Amino acid sequence: MDVLREKALAMTKSTFLPIVAALVLAALAGGNVKDLGPRLPAEIAGWKAAGADHIYDRKTIFDYLDGGAEVYLAFDLREVFVRKFKSAAGTEIALDIYDCGSPAEAFGAFTCDRQDPGAGIGQESEYGPGLLRFWQGRFFVSITAAGDEEKAEVALRALGKDVVPVLGPAGEPPALVRALPDAGLKKDRTCFFHSVINLNNRFFVAADNILNLEALTDCVLAEYDAGGQADPARLLLVVYPDEGRAQAAELSFAKGYRPADAAAGANSGARAFARRRSNLLSIVFAAPSKAFAKRLLAAVKQPQP
Amino acid sequence: MKHALTRRNFLRGTTLAVLGTTVGLPRLAPAQTAPSAKTRVVLIRHPEALDENSQLNGKVIQQMLDEAVAKLLDAPDAVAAFKQLVKPEDIVGIKSNVWSYLPTPPEVEKAIKSRLLDAGVKEEAIAIDDHTVRTNPIFVKSTALINARPLRTHYLAGMSGCIKNYIMFDVSQPAHHPDSCADLGSLFLLPQVKGKTRLNVLCVLTPQYYGRGPHNFNRRYVWNYNGLIVGRDPVAVDTIGLRLLMAKRRKELGPSQEIPPVPKHIQLADTRYGIGTSDMAKIELIKLGWADDILI
Repeated sequence: MDVLREKALAMTKSTFLPIVAALVLAALAGGNVKDLGPRLPAEIAGWKAAGADHIYDRKTIFDYLDGGAEVYLAFDLREVFVRKFKSAAGTEIALDIYDCGSPAEAFGAFTCDRQDPGAGIGQESEYGPGLLRFWQGRFFVSITAAGDEEKAEVALRALGKDVVPVLGPAGEPPALVRALPDAGLKKDRTCFFHSVINLNNRFFVAADNILNLEALTDCVLAEYDAGGQADPARLLLVVYPDEGRAQAAELSFAKGYRPADAAAGANSGARAFARRRSNLLSIVFAAPSKAFAKRLLAAVKQPQP
Repeated sequence: MKHALTRRNFLRGTTLAVLGTTVGLPRLAPAQTAPSAKTRVVLIRHPEALDENSQLNGKVIQQMLDEAVAKLLDAPDAVAAFKQLVKPEDIVGIKSNVWSYLPTPPEVEKAIKSRLLDAGVKEEAIAIDDHTVRTNPIFVKSTALINARPLRTHYLAGMSGCIKNYIMFDVSQPAHHPDSCADLGSLFLLPQVKGKTRLNVLCVLTPQYYGRGPHNFNRRYVWNYNGLIVGRDPVAVDTIGLRLLMAKRRKELGPSQEIPPVPKHIQLADTRYGIGTSDMAKIELIKLGWADDILI
């Protein structure tokens, strides 16, 4: 009997403790998006919450993002919380909070599209007229104003600052970012992603997926000061699930890449320079010289898991 | 034949020559095919299409549509031109676009409907719709379609134009998203659509040349171009729209972002589905009206 009781207790511990631990960790990391509503402001700088909050998952996100859902589904998107605000004049602000599953994925969702100056909100942010974007922990946040963008700036920034504490503690960017060489790196232009959609929206390489990018590939695209050259050089790092797939991608790239067809070719017609080490493929685009590209490739650090 | 969708060909608009005809799909009705003569597309612009507050001027837009359609069909006036496009007994669906940030302007919908009525189509036989076209009784029974929407960039397809505007005719929209929405041309072969499109109106009154953020919209990237691109061939109309987007992107974003990634569906609508021509050498572009900052 005691043995059975001990076994039952052990089973209870092994079954429930991880669940309890996961729930505690989830709460510490900002909790579930469905619980965010009561902790978020209902009014901000003259804009009042309008209509019911909405939560979308990976299937229903298509109902909300008309045509752009795949950009976020390419990350490990779990759910999106949406609250709309309206001003007395009828202009609208949309608060979107994307649960990306992990800080690395949230970093990716933020960086794949970043362009504007930082706003000092969350871990990293950007603000341009009508659009505030930032990431915090495993959440990526987008706050959009449609109409009267100048007046909305105060509300966007205030709302962003109010949202950050609700999202929990900060998280770590993906480890692959640390493999980038430091010299000449434009840190606010680095982005992390998995899909060819994100690559081509940032830097057009080819109309087809010649690097065989997919959900299991981790990619970092970074920009480097290229001396006197107006356009920066680009360094792309791709970690494949195994060496075989990296080798296949290397061959596919060598066969399918045409410099004049890529974005780099628009200016310089420069060649791309690639180097593979095990399952890591590194490629330099738009380098001012072969020597520059070789130096950059040689300086890539070994990615840490 | 292996696809060779390259930057060079996007720029030259000569993908047709590279790809050749790849799939033995049937050609559509004459209105949607490339005839032996060049396919005519009319770009018309007017400085007063928008006022100083970017509000649309319905009277000017009616005038622009009238002039463009008359020129497109070499008709003496707009009513005569619309009488070439539709018959009084036709049931006509005007396929609009309700995307909240940049919808088909009501002024354009009204201008089209007005001329359909003038051509003798009964009011009760005309509907304007987007998301419910599959079940809208007029669209279900339609004998003719008019395709009208704004030009904008798109994260997956590179460009949203007249070809992509028919995506609501299919059961599943996400099913068209793989490979940069490569197969959007197939929409024109759906039974509810095939052979019915009489006119395509790509609104370039306030086109959007770039998109950011989850909603892919920001007013910074919309500009007052004050134009309409009109044609019977949706592929030719979109080919001109793409050239306009590329010209604006080159000017504003630089050569490295000239191509909105990746608008392959336009060329493939031609070479894979045979619904029109994407070859600039086979398109006769007629430009009417205001020429300032015309870009193309």
